[in-house]
Amino acid sequence: MSETTDTSQGREPITRWFTEWFDGSLAALCSGSLLVVVAGGLVQVTFGTFSMTIAEAWRAVFDPAVLLNSQAWTAFLLGGDLPELSKQTLIVWNIRLPRVFVAIFVGMNLAVSGAIFQAVTRNELASPFILGVSSGAGLAILLTLVVFSGLSTFLPLVASVGGAVAFLTVYAIAWKNGTSPVRLVLAGVIVGTVFGSLQTALFFFADDIGVVQSAIAWTTGSLTGTDWEQVRMALPWTVVAMLLALVSSRQLNVLLLGENTASSLGMNVEKVRFALSGVAVLAAAASIAVAGIVGFVGLIVPHMVRNVVGSEYKKLVVGCLFAGPALMVAADVGARLALSPAQIPVGIVTGLLGGPYFLYLMRKQDQMGDI
Amino acid sequence: MGDGRTPSTDSPGASELVGENLAIGYPTTDEPVVECENVVIPAGEVTALVGPNGSGKSTLLKTMANQHAAEFGRVLVDGQRIQSFDSKELARRVGLLSQENDSPASLTVEDLVSHGRYPHRGFFDSLTDEDRVAIDRAIELAGVEEIRTQAVGNLSGGQKQLAWIAMVLAQDTDVLLLDEPTTYLDLHHQLRVMEVVRTLNREEEITIGIVLHDIGQAARFADNLIAMKDGEPYDWGPPNEVVTEELLADVFRVDADVDSESDTGPHIAPHRALD
Repeated sequence: MSETTDTSQGREPITRWFTEWFDGSLAALCSGSLLVVVAGGLVQVTFGTFSMTIAEAWRAVFDPAVLLNSQAWTAFLLGGDLPELSKQTLIVWNIRLPRVFVAIFVGMNLAVSGAIFQAVTRNELASPFILGVSSGAGLAILLTLVVFSGLSTFLPLVASVGGAVAFLTVYAIAWKNGTSPVRLVLAGVIVGTVFGSLQTALFFFADDIGVVQSAIAWTTGSLTGTDWEQVRMALPWTVVAMLLALVSSRQLNVLLLGENTASSLGMNVEKVRFALSGVAVLAAAASIAVAGIVGFVGLIVPHMVRNVVGSEYKKLVVGCLFAGPALMVAADVGARLALSPAQIPVGIVTGLLGGPYFLYLMRKQDQMGDI
Repeated sequence: MGDGRTPSTDSPGASELVGENLAIGYPTTDEPVVECENVVIPAGEVTALVGPNGSGKSTLLKTMANQHAAEFGRVLVDGQRIQSFDSKELARRVGLLSQENDSPASLTVEDLVSHGRYPHRGFFDSLTDEDRVAIDRAIELAGVEEIRTQAVGNLSGGQKQLAWIAMVLAQDTDVLLLDEPTTYLDLHHQLRVMEVVRTLNREEEITIGIVLHDIGQAARFADNLIAMKDGEPYDWGPPNEVVTEELLADVFRVDADVDSESDTGPHIAPHRALD
């Protein structure tokens, strides 16, 4: 039980558990990300068409009339009537903060989903949308807006289901006595191409500029107008998907040793691969339902995190849980305030922020994307 | 027979692996690439599969580990069909180390070895003390203590191979199948790998099936040889019976002299390639 031994042998279980999941660089990454989220959130609640000072915004955030009021929380999390609140508090809590929360959920979901798909396909260019999810969701969105406009109220659900259906189609196409990463990615390209064309074709039949703008907002990803309803929609699925991702991180690690090794270690590779893809699609679908198809976050965040903590998936998933929200919240500050009062889809900003950062990583690293 | 080469067939703990009437093919081939009526990896012994490139050694080894389905025939471990085990159960009985292995470069040796415990752990289980003991023992047996905390990406080919062997040792199986574990290694690491194999077999009574490229090495370290030619076993038995000038000419198409009196197994002096 010596304290100096550097193996994990003989340490207290708690410490052992902690070192298995955390280390210095991961802790730094998480606290850095947290700082960005808090700073971005503060900017988001302070500025806007109704301007207030930072002190006022802070006071509204920590307003005991909300924090200690069960009726307020019931209204936020389950829906219902809000209690009497001051104007500042109402704006911060009812309009501005939920958007920050949604950004946090979307960032988590996309980052973790991308990390899982990168392991499942053993492909460093994989993103949450590699297996057809985005094209399926996009087609479903266009169909709803242009053809079946009666379903618009269910748009979030329809989009998620469209993504899941496309994913299952990809799997069915790739299946031939089992799948392989390459066949999955190729099937994703096939489905993506066909669905993408259909989606573009549908734009021609949109006769109203409002419909087109709405379609663009959905297919590039936007947080405009999100409130507690979106939080309620995303929260349960996010919690489920993130917990599943955390507990299955060891499966991802073993999968990274290659299919042959994983299989001779007794893993049922096909089953595990399908289940993990399912978790990743669930996460992606949860984010699509509330924000549309936000690009780039799911591709770049796992790389950023891997760059800092290595490819051990326990640490990678934990890192993504923090870094994803950081990127998403920061990008949404730009989307909401850069051209104020006009708001642009956040997906445009993630691309504008992410692209150059990706370039920087690519130039800096000798070996990009070693998984 | 040389140093300590007495087969320990009577050991009660060791497992035997048998293939019967096997025909093994690939989707892209019409004819089976391996056909053999009977192949035995005897309990508690080291059996080396030798033969020229493309003679079906690796394919046979994969099938014996249930990692490649045979078209016909069956494989039995201690008389039980390998398909009757669930995948983790089988992975606790039979381990296979493939010829080429790839891992994330930033993975440490210790973490790699800990993945060898996969078949012993449930979905939610964290490492138990038993797992830790097995990992430490595997690291010690493979002699990789001093590189334990290093990243696999920074190791030489030989060190990497020893780390992978440590992983498959942590799997703690009764039968261990190794596919060309010494190919591409320098002589020092080749001998280290073979010494680990021998120690495992002698001290832990693990049944070993090993594909070797170098027939001299196979003759020196194995209790039995199975010589493969064109997907069929050509001959099998103790090295000094199997390794003959005739076998080298027929199977390996090499003109060579064999000194079967040497105390480190039959010695081969190759002269030239036969047409």
